[in-house]
Amino acid sequence: MNLLAARGSLRIRLLAGTLFWIAASIAIAAWGLGSLFREHVATQFNGELRTHLDQLTAHLAVDGQGHPTLAVPLSDPRLRLPYSGLYWQIDELGEGGAKAGAAAGGERAKQVAAGSLRSRSLWDSVLDVPPDAPADGEIHRHRVAGPADSMLGMVERVVRIDDPAAGLPRSFRLIVAADERLMVEPVARFDGALWLALGVLAAGLVVAALVQVSVGLAPLRKLHGALGRVRNGDAQTLVGKFPAEVMPLVDEFNSVLTQNAEVVERARTHAGNLAHALKTPLSVLANAATGKDDELARLVVTQVDTAKRQVDYHLARAQAAAAMRVPGARTTVRPVLEGLLRTMRRIHAGRQLELVLQPIAGDPAFRGEENDLQEMLGNLLDNACKWARSRVEVDARLEQGSLLIRVDDDGQGIAAADRDAVLRRGVRADQQVPGTGLGLSIADDLAQLYGGELALADSPLAGLRVVLRLPAAGSAVGG
Amino acid sequence: MRILVVEDEPLLQTQLADALRSAGYAVDTAGNGVDAHHLGDSASHDAVVLDLGLPQIDGITVLRKWRAAGRDMPVLILTARDGWHEKVSGIDAGADDYLTKPFHMEELLARLRALIRRAGGHASAELVCGPLTLDTRNGRATVNGQALALTSHEYRVLAYLMHHREQVISRSDLVEHIYAQDFDRDSNTVEVFIARLRKKLPPGLIETVRGLGYRLTAPR
Repeated sequence: MNLLAARGSLRIRLLAGTLFWIAASIAIAAWGLGSLFREHVATQFNGELRTHLDQLTAHLAVDGQGHPTLAVPLSDPRLRLPYSGLYWQIDELGEGGAKAGAAAGGERAKQVAAGSLRSRSLWDSVLDVPPDAPADGEIHRHRVAGPADSMLGMVERVVRIDDPAAGLPRSFRLIVAADERLMVEPVARFDGALWLALGVLAAGLVVAALVQVSVGLAPLRKLHGALGRVRNGDAQTLVGKFPAEVMPLVDEFNSVLTQNAEVVERARTHAGNLAHALKTPLSVLANAATGKDDELARLVVTQVDTAKRQVDYHLARAQAAAAMRVPGARTTVRPVLEGLLRTMRRIHAGRQLELVLQPIAGDPAFRGEENDLQEMLGNLLDNACKWARSRVEVDARLEQGSLLIRVDDDGQGIAAADRDAVLRRGVRADQQVPGTGLGLSIADDLAQLYGGELALADSPLAGLRVVLRLPAAGSAVGG
Repeated sequence: MRILVVEDEPLLQTQLADALRSAGYAVDTAGNGVDAHHLGDSASHDAVVLDLGLPQIDGITVLRKWRAAGRDMPVLILTARDGWHEKVSGIDAGADDYLTKPFHMEELLARLRALIRRAGGHASAELVCGPLTLDTRNGRATVNGQALALTSHEYRVLAYLMHHREQVISRSDLVEHIYAQDFDRDSNTVEVFIARLRKKLPPGLIETVRGLGYRLTAPR
């Protein structure tokens, strides 16, 4: 899907926007909740270390032999389990204690006994802590390497205790450390649960977005269907209930359709008026020149004939072009054919022609204007009646979604080689016999404007067969 | 034969009337729908040439009114509107033929002759009554192949009788059909025309039916 298509589709636009915001919200929620939890776990971890450090401080004493000892063992069972991850250690500082250490900036020589007392969980290892000497009452925090390649978080403080035996105050560095894995594991578990929960949430939101877009765009699909019916000629206007947001569009479109129909009707009237206005003076001119045998009279007669054909031809085209812009037009074929046959019987009454309309199956309709269908069929029938010896047959039916109308006559027909020329004759205005051929070519032009076609063939009646193929309208008027 | 010409363009009306007169018809003219309706409704015409775009009342309405009133003379519509839509509605309104402008006067005359002939029930352009033959195409009357020299009024009387041969035609009928509306009529002149025709025709062809009128009949 390229960018252009994405910009072109309302559905993709809505979905892309929604998906972006879902992804962004989920990511922010995951990051926020994760860091909140990490912070919470870290606080708890440090709080636990503090608690143990406080217990260690409270229970530290120096026994009769001058060894540091714990009056009461610390309660957490992990402190007795080797390498459990929770450790403590007491280092004795040398002369001067914390004060000297703080002042001297960490002289290594002052530390006399690292790990003089340790938790059982440390087993035989000693925590190698960086030299530091927190001032009295301060708690310092470090990360140190622990047993079995673990990283430990540790807290420490320095305590001074009066040694009753020596009578001197002694300094001890109290250290409590815990494996950072103790902190990482719950975070990892939480992260797993968090991603699962957020994943489910995201999936739910995406489904909701899809449903919403589909439901939200349903009126547009309906509009598309309604427009299709107008285009197919099943409806004159857009019909149906649409949401308040779409309804103004539908109303506007319908008024454009109505206005369009009016414009076409006006154009048609104007074209008719123009023809009337031109043809009466042409008649006067032609009649004035008829019967006189001089150069000017002959010129007038031929030029009037040319002008008449041009007016007829271009008027027909103009009307057809106007008609093509009226969507939703639909014309039932049968009444048009019946009206034309009535007319033909009257106009060609002197020729004793047998005009036969074959039975029409169903009720085929033409997707276009009645005037244009009349114009095409009128020209075809008139042409057939002019050339027929005694019989003209008309047949209309639907075939493969097209309207097929066949006009047969028993006249002399047109040789296959001349058929193309007959259909093209309309563009030239110099044919010999007035009225011949022009009708066929006008019908052909109109048919082509409607996307149909006119074909000439041999008739089983021995004359010409004209087959007119036109777009059919749906069999029922769309509601 | 008497024709009503309805055309609102004065020049074309004059041309039509002149052409029809020189073809041997008596001609009435009307330039608007009201006059046309009145004339067609009150007088006896053998055919009407009717333009559709008329002032006051349009041609189709005039035609419908005539047909509704039982007027059955043949009507030839002469109009610039040449769409089949107009032709169908013209024929459905009761017209007998349709000719679009601009037209050839010969074609108009030929169509009109055919309409009048068909209205009288004649299939051929040549009307025959015994030794007498009338060719409606060129207005020539012959007896046994010998052309007759006729004045225009004599021709009109003979043509009307030929179209209605073997029928009794009253003197007033003849007057109605050989004179135009504005002509100063005198029914005695009909007798003069009949007398002149009898001199030119073989004896016994025109019978006098006492108290009713005349009858053109082939000798038995």
